[in-house]
Amino acid sequence: MSDIPVFFLHGLAYAGLLFLVSSGLTLIFGMMNVLNFAHAAMYMVGAYLSYTIIMQLTGQFWMALMICPVILFIIGALVERFLLRRVHAQGHLGELLLTFGLAYIITELVKWYWGNYPLAVNVTGFLSGSITIFGFIYPIYRIFVFFSAVLVGGIMALILYKTRLGIILRASVNDSEMTNTLGVNVPLVFMGVFAFGTALSGFAGVIAGPFLSTFPGMAQEILIDAFVVIVVGGFGSLGGAVVAALLIGQLQSFGVLLIPKLSVALIYLLMAAVLIIKPSGLFGEES
Amino acid sequence: MKQKSISLITIVVLFLVGLFMPFILKQYHLNMLTEIIIFSLYAVSYNLLLGYAGLLSFGHAAFFGLGAFVTAIAIIHIPGISLWNVILIGVAATVVAGLILGGLLLRHKGSYFALLTLAFNALFYAVATKWHSVTGGDDGLSITRPNLALGFTSIPLSSLTTFYYLTLVIMGAAIVYCWYFTNTAMGKTVVLMRENEDRMKFLGYNTNISRLILFTFTGALAGLAGVFYTFHFQFVSISAISPDMTTAILLMVFVGGTKIFWGPILGVFVYVIFQNYLSNVTDRWPLFMGLIFVLMVLYVPGGLSGVIMNIKQRFFGKKNNNGDKTAQAEEVIS
Amino acid sequence: MRNYLHIHNIHKDFSGLQVLTGVEFKVQEKERHAVIGPNGAGKTTLFNIISGKFKPSSGAILFKGKDISGKPPHILNRYGLSRSFQITNAFQELSVFNNILAGVRSRYGLRYNFFKKPNQNREICEKVDAIIKEVGLTDVKDQPASSLSYGQQRALEIGITLSTEPELILLDEPTAGMTREETNQAIKMIDQVTAGRTLIIIEHDMEVVFSLASMISVLHYGTILVSDTPEKIRNDQRVKDAYLGEG
Repeated sequence: MSDIPVFFLHGLAYAGLLFLVSSGLTLIFGMMNVLNFAHAAMYMVGAYLSYTIIMQLTGQFWMALMICPVILFIIGALVERFLLRRVHAQGHLGELLLTFGLAYIITELVKWYWGNYPLAVNVTGFLSGSITIFGFIYPIYRIFVFFSAVLVGGIMALILYKTRLGIILRASVNDSEMTNTLGVNVPLVFMGVFAFGTALSGFAGVIAGPFLSTFPGMAQEILIDAFVVIVVGGFGSLGGAVVAALLIGQLQSFGVLLIPKLSVALIYLLMAAVLIIKPSGLFGEES
Repeated sequence: MKQKSISLITIVVLFLVGLFMPFILKQYHLNMLTEIIIFSLYAVSYNLLLGYAGLLSFGHAAFFGLGAFVTAIAIIHIPGISLWNVILIGVAATVVAGLILGGLLLRHKGSYFALLTLAFNALFYAVATKWHSVTGGDDGLSITRPNLALGFTSIPLSSLTTFYYLTLVIMGAAIVYCWYFTNTAMGKTVVLMRENEDRMKFLGYNTNISRLILFTFTGALAGLAGVFYTFHFQFVSISAISPDMTTAILLMVFVGGTKIFWGPILGVFVYVIFQNYLSNVTDRWPLFMGLIFVLMVLYVPGGLSGVIMNIKQRFFGKKNNNGDKTAQAEEVIS
Repeated sequence: MRNYLHIHNIHKDFSGLQVLTGVEFKVQEKERHAVIGPNGAGKTTLFNIISGKFKPSSGAILFKGKDISGKPPHILNRYGLSRSFQITNAFQELSVFNNILAGVRSRYGLRYNFFKKPNQNREICEKVDAIIKEVGLTDVKDQPASSLSYGQQRALEIGITLSTEPELILLDEPTAGMTREETNQAIKMIDQVTAGRTLIIIEHDMEVVFSLASMISVLHYGTILVSDTPEKIRNDQRVKDAYLGEG
């Protein structure tokens, strides 16, 4: 039990990654009311792209961290403009099925191009080192994962609550027709939100590579955990995603330590408990 | 009235054709047909939820798989158990699961409900994978079919032909009942709730209970299909309860079309045959599945049966004069 | 004497905004009671509370001596209470017949039956046809609700309200948006279909109010200003002030 601090740090790192994935998901849901099943597949694309950029082309982790989100941003914008927007009139059923189908296509294409086996992404330099905390030697990269999530979350909160863009975004959610008549280009806002959310998943993918390794099942694995994060935190709530990611990160980490056999069921138990006690999630608004 | 007698004749003819199939088809194809019939009940039950009640669930395989696993477990652990009791236990288990899950999840609607059902399907899958001592984990469970006890006699089901007949009768009866159900008070109530739930409350309907009953009912039907799935293959693996099994049914139903009762069955035929063919030529089946989804959503949201109805309407021109707005709505509503 | 319906000291606030502040009035059996008042007085909110859509913040609704406040709408409907909506709230894709059928079969207990087909029950079908005739929609009974004219939609709304054979009927502005002629027809129809039952009606149109109501309550800023017979109301200074004050 003396290594409890280590498990705590593991939990923090996983929470950071979970937040990066689920914040994009919850942003898209909160703003556009679209549950994007392809989100985790985009995250996978980010991870595999970063493999190519880091291990095959440049050798630079930072390069991948800058380029991948841009590429994913463009993919997201195209998907919204040419696919999602066309089925919007069919209601949420069409949107769900579309993103669902996309998830399959993207996952398969990734497997096709990069192969159906795990790929190792290594970081070099300062990030590959370790430091000593609480008397333990701990990899710097995991701490970096956590702080990159803090940074991204902070920037998102600043944009949403402190800028004019944030006001427009929040207004579009509440009443898109009204905002439209006020001269805001709502379709453009939606495209931007979807693209930004997708870019976030790409960012998360790059971060995940050296942390969890890059493998064909990575999309499915993170998708369910990300879903649980937004259910527990409350749909569309950024603050809720923060708290829920921290909770689930620790639950995962200590679950493996304390009751390894039941660890998979733990996050579901948490979700079931939240559903019974507060169906709209910890920070969700009651409808 | 006329349309109904046509449907009745169709059912009788289909059944008679089904009786002759073992004389015509080779084992390989009879195997496939048995699978199609079992999946048809699974698809029809799913469409009662999606097409009629408007509830998009990503967790239907939880019920299908539960029925399948309970069947195998019962046969292995209760020596000499009769076929009927296996079916009873399998369906009872899904009823209990339906009531619990429904109670927990049905407070939510739309995308939220969809997500939650997926998450709980993943839970069932995780439990089946990890609980090796009971479910066999990745290895699955093998069984032999019990004999069919009919009181005065006992028929062995070891041959595919006799099992095919049992499947035809029981699955067929269940599907025909589902069709009948859509015209019953409860069947109509479900559609009315989809159309205008608010008003239904003011007309004396308890809409929460109705939804729970329907959810449990369709879950039990999927469970029954799952029981036969295990009987058929004499084996059950975790794939029966995996989210991919939900995806498969969603695809079948969506390809066939959700607006018409028989649509999903058409979808099952197309899917099973297509998959058998495609998996022989390519191992990229999931890619095609995804492409079909996207193309269907974009270009044929009504599914194949919707296309057929449209063609029928264009050539015969005559609209169904039942009064409800569209031919499709008429199928579902009246 | 026991009151048939007693709305007792009903308060309602929506996150701090007080809409009803102690509404109090009584309705006797077979009475036709109109609730009038300027826009924003809280009339529809009051209806939503009586019919179970909202729960009151405080207060009681005594129906035949029993407190029914806060009960869900489907229970209230089974007690014999039915309401109409200001904006037609029908099953738009369904035929007029199927719209009315939904309520009639509910009244006959055919709600969740897994075996019986409601449209094969003669008694139910005859009842449906009778209601359709009462509201004057026999000619269009097989047409979908969405294809009806505005006046017909309003008639359908009343038909659906009547379909569960309520003893207490709440009509929310049944003639809103109608022409003079349509309104006159509607008054006649309402007069006929509510014969022998208790009616509470919200109405803006004073002509409708004075030709239908036997009692009038005036709702003003969330409270009942006065509740009396039409003659008294017509000459009541407070009512005049309230309405003239609105300009």
